[in-house]
Amino acid sequence: MIPQSHFLILGALLFAIGLYGALTRRTAIGILMSIELILNAANINLITFNKFLGSPDGLGQIFALFVIAIAAASAVVGLVLVIAVYRNMKTIFTEKMNMLKW
Amino acid sequence: MVKYAHLIPLFPFIAFAINILFGRRLKKASAFVSITASSIALVISAVTFIGNLNGEGSYTIAKWIFLNGVPLNFGVTVDPLSCMMLLVVTIVGTLIQIYSMGYMHDDARFSRFFAYMSLFMGSMLGLLLADNFVMLYMFWEGVGLCSYLLISFWFEKPAAARAGMKAFITTRIGDTGLLIGILLLFFSAKTLYFKDLGGLAINDTTLTAVGILIFCGAIGKSAQFPLHVWLPDAMEGPTPVSALIHAATMVAAGVYLIARCYGLFISHHTALITVAYVGAITAFMAASIALVNNDIKRILAYSTISQLGLMMLGLGVGGYESGTFHLMTHAFFKALLFLCAGSIIHSIHIEDDPAMHTQDIRKMGGLFPKMKITGTTLIIAGLAIAGIPPLSGFWSKDELLSEIINTGHPVLFAVAALTSLMTAFYIFRLIFLVLFGKARPGVHAHESPYVMTIPLSILAVFSIFAGFFRPVRPDFLTMGISTAIAVIGIGLAYSFYILNNKILSADVRARFAFLYRLLSNKYYIDEIYEAALIKPCFRLAESAARFDLGVVDGAVNLTARVSVVLSKMQSWFDLYIVDGIVNMVANIAWLCSAILRRLQTGLVQNYILIAFFGLAIIILIKLIGG
Amino acid sequence: MVSGPIQLLNNLLNNYGLPQGFIVQASFYVIAASAVISALGVVTSRNIFHCAIFLAFSLFCVAGVYLFLSAEFLAVVQVLIYVGAIVTLFLFAIMLTANIGDRSIRHTNRQVLAGGVVAIIISVFFIFIIIREPWKKALMQAQPLTLQEIGKSLMSVYALPFEVISLILLAALVGAIVIGKVKKE
Repeated sequence: MIPQSHFLILGALLFAIGLYGALTRRTAIGILMSIELILNAANINLITFNKFLGSPDGLGQIFALFVIAIAAASAVVGLVLVIAVYRNMKTIFTEKMNMLKW
Repeated sequence: MVKYAHLIPLFPFIAFAINILFGRRLKKASAFVSITASSIALVISAVTFIGNLNGEGSYTIAKWIFLNGVPLNFGVTVDPLSCMMLLVVTIVGTLIQIYSMGYMHDDARFSRFFAYMSLFMGSMLGLLLADNFVMLYMFWEGVGLCSYLLISFWFEKPAAARAGMKAFITTRIGDTGLLIGILLLFFSAKTLYFKDLGGLAINDTTLTAVGILIFCGAIGKSAQFPLHVWLPDAMEGPTPVSALIHAATMVAAGVYLIARCYGLFISHHTALITVAYVGAITAFMAASIALVNNDIKRILAYSTISQLGLMMLGLGVGGYESGTFHLMTHAFFKALLFLCAGSIIHSIHIEDDPAMHTQDIRKMGGLFPKMKITGTTLIIAGLAIAGIPPLSGFWSKDELLSEIINTGHPVLFAVAALTSLMTAFYIFRLIFLVLFGKARPGVHAHESPYVMTIPLSILAVFSIFAGFFRPVRPDFLTMGISTAIAVIGIGLAYSFYILNNKILSADVRARFAFLYRLLSNKYYIDEIYEAALIKPCFRLAESAARFDLGVVDGAVNLTARVSVVLSKMQSWFDLYIVDGIVNMVANIAWLCSAILRRLQTGLVQNYILIAFFGLAIIILIKLIGG
Repeated sequence: MVSGPIQLLNNLLNNYGLPQGFIVQASFYVIAASAVISALGVVTSRNIFHCAIFLAFSLFCVAGVYLFLSAEFLAVVQVLIYVGAIVTLFLFAIMLTANIGDRSIRHTNRQVLAGGVVAIIISVFFIFIIIREPWKKALMQAQPLTLQEIGKSLMSVYALPFEVISLILLAALVGAIVIGKVKKE
């Protein structure tokens, strides 16, 4: 029997790793991938609590389903934006995308 | 009928405005503007004259101001004196302006000349119509200004510019007296109206002073002794100006002023007799100078002074009518004399220098055959001024003489008679030298154009018949005496300058050479003024200038230098202390922001990092605290 | 209880004398460790293409973890959507933009150290909190949620969020096409 805390620790580790990636990646694609990791960490937590705390109609799992859908949407839009920016500015590095800055 | 009298000066003023504003475009047409305005003024003057004959008189146009509680209105004087003067001024003025079209034909400032002439006409007519001293003084200064402008009309000539200034400054002395007199009158009698002058206190000392001060103004304007020096120099102006302003009208303004204030003078004997004696001295002195002068215009100028002196003398002995009558006749024949002189000067050329128009009568001669109209009119004018019956001058001069002898002034009568003799002599000396005798070699002359000779002819007609305008009281004794005087004068001139007789032997003439020198130097009056007044004035001005340069300017410069030093110190303080503080504040703010702005990197990841760092701190606090 | 395939593996291995549930527990830790390690590869690899591969593997492992949490449907969805769709999308994006072969390009920014420190601190705090907490031992949901139940929930209680999500997906679709379209002059 695997205790609840081990699932939560896995989620925390994935979150921390995703956070590190989001903080340090230079490319927009890298950041997006890190964010996918964070979302997965959140999904693990949602499902864990659904299993261990219980819900009559499976709220945690359905919410995780929604998160996956949102993640898919955000990934699609984010990647299209990356491509559009690359097409116009010929760069994938976030610090170069500063046309709207002062 | 007289209700339009106040419009008389208006038209010349309008003509002035048109000519001064649009003269450049109008060019020769500006003469027609001025002449039209003068003609309209002439017509209205005639209407006014007829209205006055029908018994209509002065009226008030508009309220003006209250002076110390005393009302002062714009009014118009319409009485026989002003009507007569209006007619004389408008007739003579119109004729002279027509004449000027010919005389000034080639002048570069043709329209400017007519603008000034119109301004003068307006001012002079306004002066004649004024019913109080304030209005009179305004127009009085107006004609003085026009006189100045027109004397120095050819200001390129230094002599003309100087003459203008001399006329202005000399008359200013008299005008100051007039102004003081007006103020004194107002504060002593509380009135400024001419019509009130007759009803004032008799033989009052203050009012006597007022009379003499007013006479000062007349002395300046009418070029009486001792302020007569400006008039001969004023002959530097164009000849029509001399004829209009300095013979017929403006110089007569002084006489007009005395006549206008006659109510005051008649009741103050001291003032009146002062007028008489000043007039006598002037008449004699100016006539004697005219005897030996050689400049055709200056002879006429001295003649004008002399005749004005005679008018003053006539007024001074109580001959109001004879004085003003002579004023009228004199206006015609003296204007005619000047215009004849102008015609001669205009047409005469010296061979060597075509541009040279001489004014020296010794260089002329034998001009009569060449200039028949001018010559004839000149002789008519000469006869008129000499007093040959039945020309106008005879009647007025005869009346003056009889007035003087009848009021019991034998000395003054003798002076007047002698003046008349000299008048006849010098005017015929001029005529004989200019018109008859041998023609000088190298001098060419021709008759002037009709635009000039027609006004001459009209004025000649007036010179002949102006004497019949008023009924005469036959006084056969003085008539005989004055006729005899005139004939003797003419005869002397004839024998001297035509027959070339030497009546006096050479040694007698040598003995009286000092007299000639005295006269030809005009009694040294100019030199006396130069030595007694002008030199000290200049010296005073020079020492004042030295004081100004040395002390006042020195003090000013010292102040300036001190303030320069002070302001340099201030500027240093400002630059390094005040600006330093300001810059320091700015630099501190700049330094702080330079440090703080590093927080604002604009990188989203940076912000996220800080946000999670903050989250870590919150968790830490929560763990420790809770 | 763990579900089908792992249960089967458990039953097979029990015959070799291993303790009850040992295989299940061991496989969970192996899967979790591979998820964490491949996630570390995602954030540290210098080649962005390798990152995407690591991400796919990590997400696949997470799908395995879902099996231990009685969420078979979600595990399948995870594999289908994440590994099958999103990571493929990432790979296409990478190939369209980045120069994948160039290892000399720096792929991290200047806050590697600070970010690492913050991430470690955060994870330590989280783990500390998780360990300190006395979690309930009793399982509220013993039976796995069937696909039928999920479908009923989505169509009844959660009908509105479901429709909203579908709208969001539609909007993302349209937006992606509009943004990504090459404008012809």
